[in-house]
Amino acid sequence: MFDKVEAFYRPANVREALRLLQSGKGQARVVAGGTDVVVDGDDSVRFLIDITHAGLSYIRRRGTASVIGATTTMAELEASPQIQSLAGGLLCKAAHSCGSMPIRNLATLGGNMANGSPAADMATPLLVLDAAVVMADAKGRRRLPLAEYLGNARSNRYARSLVVEIVIPDPPRGKGCRWSFQKLGRTAVDISLVNVSAGLHLDSRGRVKWVRIALGSVAPAPMRAPGAEQRMTGRILDQALLAEIGAEVAREVSPISDARASAEYRREICSVLTRRALEECSAPAGCSL
Amino acid sequence: MSRDRLVVGRNVRKVDGVKLVTGGAAFTDDVQIPGMLYGKILPSPHAHARIRRIDTRKAKALAGVHAVLTYKDVPRVPHTTAGQAWPEPSPYDTYLLDSKVRFVGDRVAAVAAESRAIAERALALIEVDYEILPAVLDMEQAMAPGAAVIHDEPDSTKIYDREHNIAGYILREIGNVEQGFADSDYIVEREFRTQRQQHCPIEPHITISWLDTDGRLVIRTSTQVPYHSRRQVAMILQIPVSRVHVIKPRIGGGFGGKQEMLLEDICGALTLATRRPVKIEFTREEEFYMARSRHPQRLRMKMGVTRDGIVLASQLTVLATTGAYGSHSTTVQGNTGSKVLPLYRAPNMRFECHVVYTNNPVAGAFRGYGCPQGFFAQETLVDEIACELGMDPLEFHRKNVIRLGDTDHLSAQLGEGKEGLPRLVRSCGLPQCMERAARAIGWAQKRKSLPNGHSHLRRGVGMACTMQGSGIAGVDWASAFLKMNEDGSFYLQVGASDVGGGADTVLAQIAAETLGVTLDKIIITSGDTDITPFDVGAYASSTTIISGGAVKKAAGKVRAQVLDLASKMLDAPVDKLDCGNNEVFTTCVCRKAVSMTDLAMQAMYKEKLQIMDGASHFNTDSPPPFCATFAEVEVDTETGQVRVVHLATAVDPGTAINPMQAEGQVEGAVAQGLGYALTEELVLDAAGRPVNANFLDYKMFAAEDMPKLTTILVETDEPLGPYGAKSISEVPINGPAPAIANAIFHAVGVRIRKLPIRPEDVLRALGAKRAANLEEEALLTP
Repeated sequence: MFDKVEAFYRPANVREALRLLQSGKGQARVVAGGTDVVVDGDDSVRFLIDITHAGLSYIRRRGTASVIGATTTMAELEASPQIQSLAGGLLCKAAHSCGSMPIRNLATLGGNMANGSPAADMATPLLVLDAAVVMADAKGRRRLPLAEYLGNARSNRYARSLVVEIVIPDPPRGKGCRWSFQKLGRTAVDISLVNVSAGLHLDSRGRVKWVRIALGSVAPAPMRAPGAEQRMTGRILDQALLAEIGAEVAREVSPISDARASAEYRREICSVLTRRALEECSAPAGCSL
Repeated sequence: MSRDRLVVGRNVRKVDGVKLVTGGAAFTDDVQIPGMLYGKILPSPHAHARIRRIDTRKAKALAGVHAVLTYKDVPRVPHTTAGQAWPEPSPYDTYLLDSKVRFVGDRVAAVAAESRAIAERALALIEVDYEILPAVLDMEQAMAPGAAVIHDEPDSTKIYDREHNIAGYILREIGNVEQGFADSDYIVEREFRTQRQQHCPIEPHITISWLDTDGRLVIRTSTQVPYHSRRQVAMILQIPVSRVHVIKPRIGGGFGGKQEMLLEDICGALTLATRRPVKIEFTREEEFYMARSRHPQRLRMKMGVTRDGIVLASQLTVLATTGAYGSHSTTVQGNTGSKVLPLYRAPNMRFECHVVYTNNPVAGAFRGYGCPQGFFAQETLVDEIACELGMDPLEFHRKNVIRLGDTDHLSAQLGEGKEGLPRLVRSCGLPQCMERAARAIGWAQKRKSLPNGHSHLRRGVGMACTMQGSGIAGVDWASAFLKMNEDGSFYLQVGASDVGGGADTVLAQIAAETLGVTLDKIIITSGDTDITPFDVGAYASSTTIISGGAVKKAAGKVRAQVLDLASKMLDAPVDKLDCGNNEVFTTCVCRKAVSMTDLAMQAMYKEKLQIMDGASHFNTDSPPPFCATFAEVEVDTETGQVRVVHLATAVDPGTAINPMQAEGQVEGAVAQGLGYALTEELVLDAAGRPVNANFLDYKMFAAEDMPKLTTILVETDEPLGPYGAKSISEVPINGPAPAIANAIFHAVGVRIRKLPIRPEDVLRALGAKRAANLEEEALLTP
């Protein structure tokens, strides 16, 4: 593993990190917690650039958004009062489901996104929260919708850029707003077979005013379920609609069969977890369920 | 018990505990031999192929490479890698290196180089031209006409029927099964399937070999069988046994996977070729598919009972695969019959088994040794029968299980590769095991009513009873040697192999108890073929009873020498002497005493006498430890997920020499048993390649997954064991799978007969049940 690595850099800021990435000519790899990079053990890597000292570990407020630095760890997210009070602690719950405690002490939010895994546990809650990724490259910084970034995270498009931070605009708040994270693994510490996040805003009459449903591990990248979201908007959330939405998300996903689970099983679980997520979101709001 | 025991039965600390928890240099890999090379094996990428041409010139030319070995460079000696007593019952079908490869991961070549990286580069430079042969990957197809013959080489021996890929065949019957079924009121027959489980020791297989200054081959290795390994390596490398020295340091878990001579031969061959120290260590991935695993089986089990629920006949028909080589093939499968069927007192039993070769990773010994498969079938079937009869499964067990004083005649027919010996039950705590574990789980109340409302989470409880052996009757034997030191301490030498389970501690406790000294007065060395006397090794749940028996005998002889001298020193007859607390004292009122230290000084410098002796020991019977496992589960009817809420295990180990360690063995065994039941399986693709050879995808039970455990020791006094001990390390692994399957049935009414019990299988079964119910309703509606 890493037999060809010639140098391990620890840049003190983003600019330096980008310069090193540039001069690595495709043979450099950015590493933070290392929980994915080390497991990959990519033998073509000659330079490792550790960005954990590049000033990217922070959780802040900026205007009407929460901003999380890329090297913020899962453990830091879990412990942050700001994150705990954001969307009912949705991100804390997802962060807590990532691996074991030693892993959560190392694994970072930026890494979870940059690794580009369809099963990334932090992706679906961030999709539900309409998050954006801030990227830095030689030309400067730009902001991308998370969905767009995730669709290309495993391509070469961002090879010379760095995920700097995640921006989460303030979500709907109030009595009718609820959130849910659901994950199914084979054991307590596992990659998701399926994970589902949902956000729901019901109006005072119990109609769906706003809804987000995102699913992980069931498509090439974590995805929203736009069809299901559309069907729900403006309607009363009852058992019939839940069944309809369950069926709809099962149509929208495109899971694969592997050693962990079959595609059919994953599809069925998408319906179950989506229904459970929406039930969790709606139950305390006193709707008809 | 004559007097209160001072050391046996006490929770003393492990004798090697401090060194282990402080990270002392204890394990195989903790030494760095100057000039050591790194060995690496080139694994076959094909399931079945002949090597047409192999060119190692480029690899040899690489700087830092010291040797590249292929089949052309090594002696061709058919052997088995199974670490069993000579003559091994396993087929001699394996070669150090061969011109044919028989599974993905089979040895093609081996390299020794100055670094692991160079060794890996060298492997990539070996050019191999394979003639790819049709592979037999499905065990059901192995005996079919026209199937490729995996062992077509003429020089392998002891194969049952090579033309049909049958490594071994077993047929045994007692009574008359046909008559038994004819007399039965109720007969049930079902098919079961079990999977390929891997041992996953935290320390993978590792061997370091070198030549000592006398030119002898020293092998420091992670093994359960140092003596068998020495004999096998000498035979394979064609050097005298006297030229081989095997050292077993501390071991990071074996679970049967190291009852195998796996790296010692090839590492030794590289040392002989280079005259340099060589280390080979499996990576985790290699450990999964190049080491051993549990035999997958298809079991058909049939049982006939009377209306009152008395078992009259049982029949078990098994198809198992041993993979590409027949390591432990007939002996593991023999156990599936001989240790399982006799749990019930049926007068008629029949066991038939084909063990076939396939081009799959090789199976071998694994904690439970054939019993987990058999008990999964038998205990699930028995539960079904009891439920059909409207009988409480616990009551069914009470009526039918083997009792104190019973003789198991099936064992007489099924020994280790030959006729065995009848098994007499001289100690039996099974009834108490059942009652106490049932109480712990709340059986009586929960069988009747569980709070299962309309929720998608449904609870259920299930049970299973199991047994095992304690050493192989008439085969396993051990020896021990003791000598006294000047300070009144004793040096204990045993061939037994502590593989992490705590054998050194237990053996030291037995010696200390017998000699009347405190545990700190026993210094133990184990598993070194130059220093310690012979022992077959750590397997078949034999160490406490067999090696412990040898220690007790040797200590008894040394104690007699101590008492002889004390008799002189104290001027008292031997029969008025006893020892305890590091002194010898008179048992009469005068209460004279001499300390062990004074006695030792007297012996050595006045009498010119080394107090020392040794003893050998074997048993002609294998006393069964018994176990009752009760599980409470919660089934999610929407996802099929099964969560074990509580697992209660009660075991009769005879006397628990060290109760804390005994409980540790139970808890370790049930953790592996839970994985076997629910998550663990080494999955192969259509070409025979492993697809989940890592801990990310092969799911063991970790700390967070463990249910609440209740562990109960039901101690009995076994006449054949040292201080009444039998064994404990294997038997608790058998229970979780059937107990969980039965609890699932209790919870949701579906029978799962395939391991591991995956959520999707549960969900499918629930779907099928719902569909069947609807159909039934439709039929009933006019």
